[in-house]
Amino acid sequence: MKFKDKLKSNKFLITAELFPPKGTDISFFSKRADCLLNSGVDAVNVTDNQRASMRTSSLAMCKILADKGIEPILQLTARDRNRIALQSDLLGASVLGIENVLILSGDHPKFGDYANAKAVYDLDTIQLIKTTKMLGSGFDLAGKKLCGSPNFCVGAVVNPTAYPNEMQVLMFEKKIKAGAEFFQTQTVFDVEIFKAFYDKVKSFGVKVLAGVMLIKSAKSLSFFQNLPGVTVPKEIQKKIASSSVALKDGIDICAQTIKQLRQFADGVHIMSIGMEELIPEIINKS
Amino acid sequence: MIITEKKQKEALLQSLKGFDKLFLTACGGCAAKSLTADEKSVKEIMDFLVSNGKTILESAVIESVCDMRLVKKTLSRNENMQKADVVVALSCGAGVQSIESVLKEKNIIPALDSKYIGSTKRIGIYKKFCSVCGSCILDQTQGICPRTRCAKSLVNGPCGGFVNGKCEIDQNTDCAWVLIYEKLKNNGKCQDFLNQYVVPL
Repeated sequence: MKFKDKLKSNKFLITAELFPPKGTDISFFSKRADCLLNSGVDAVNVTDNQRASMRTSSLAMCKILADKGIEPILQLTARDRNRIALQSDLLGASVLGIENVLILSGDHPKFGDYANAKAVYDLDTIQLIKTTKMLGSGFDLAGKKLCGSPNFCVGAVVNPTAYPNEMQVLMFEKKIKAGAEFFQTQTVFDVEIFKAFYDKVKSFGVKVLAGVMLIKSAKSLSFFQNLPGVTVPKEIQKKIASSSVALKDGIDICAQTIKQLRQFADGVHIMSIGMEELIPEIINKS
Repeated sequence: MIITEKKQKEALLQSLKGFDKLFLTACGGCAAKSLTADEKSVKEIMDFLVSNGKTILESAVIESVCDMRLVKKTLSRNENMQKADVVVALSCGAGVQSIESVLKEKNIIPALDSKYIGSTKRIGIYKKFCSVCGSCILDQTQGICPRTRCAKSLVNGPCGGFVNGKCEIDQNTDCAWVLIYEKLKNNGKCQDFLNQYVVPL
């Protein structure tokens, strides 16, 4: 069953994500992708120059996943391309058999290796979601007819931990109005915060996959804490800071979070930052 | 008004390499008001250039350098201008190009960098409020411009990066969309926000 069909089922959905390589050697990417085959993961996102640091294109790496039999979710940010390039890449993705796309604004260039790069944002996220759906109707943004049109399952992101939270609830609804068919969220460490948000949006009937992060070490935890919109509860901070087996504790925290989410949520999006070989273990423990 | 900043003196000197006889023009409009072409700034730059071996034939203040008619009236028949190797312009980029348009044959060197259109809070403290996009949406955004004041220029709502009402790229700057949201809420306009769609420029 395809990811877009699973969205209509009652299955608890699990997605993971891979970072493209920085360079042309895809062996490490490939190895990590192989860990996700038959792992219980329903689809795998490929990030689009995450943290505004240049990497190989998400589009190319999604094709590598598709060839392996892993269903990819193309992450597409509004940050780096104007409306011509965005539509062109979407059509290219469809030609290559990529059927899922996650639309994001993208981390601001200030966070990456190219702080002075032009932040394009020719389209914003709502406009890009609408544009993606419009391509599906057989026309481009300029109203020109397409010769063959894509049929994307369009995802969007939302941050359940952002305050004021009501603004994110409004954006959730606005993204659905624009055409969003599923959501993946910013990292959630505190299940109660996620539940409070989820309770406000579940009536819309659109699946929300809660973002969960694998904490690998005290150092990686401090990195997450500096990410925009990520809040780590004090108990987790304390546990990892004093732990001699931080990775083991990280796996347990991640599995425990998923276990709690299984009680009510639609699914999870696991971010394991280069340790995809641990995902089957995390899923089993959850 | 257009907010300008003084160029680094060393960089200015570098761009004046090979020019000895200088004609200074200073804008009496925005640049004077934002203290980059006021009397004190003009004197400071003149002292610097003279101490570095340059000769200043004349310095002229033009009320608004962006008004080409004023530039023409003030400079086109000026004798010192005829003798000068170069015009040093203390004005915004539009002003520099006004001078270029009037005095086609002259070399023009800008002494200022144009930053943005801003409102003055107090002298030296300016707020970037407008991007002169040519398609004003302030009627739909509670009088707060997200095209200018959101770091990502998102016009249909925020990203997920705001933290306690502050922008993800600068914790000292309010998220424009949180400001808009507070007004939407107070004015009972959240439903309007949901139904409105700002089209691409």
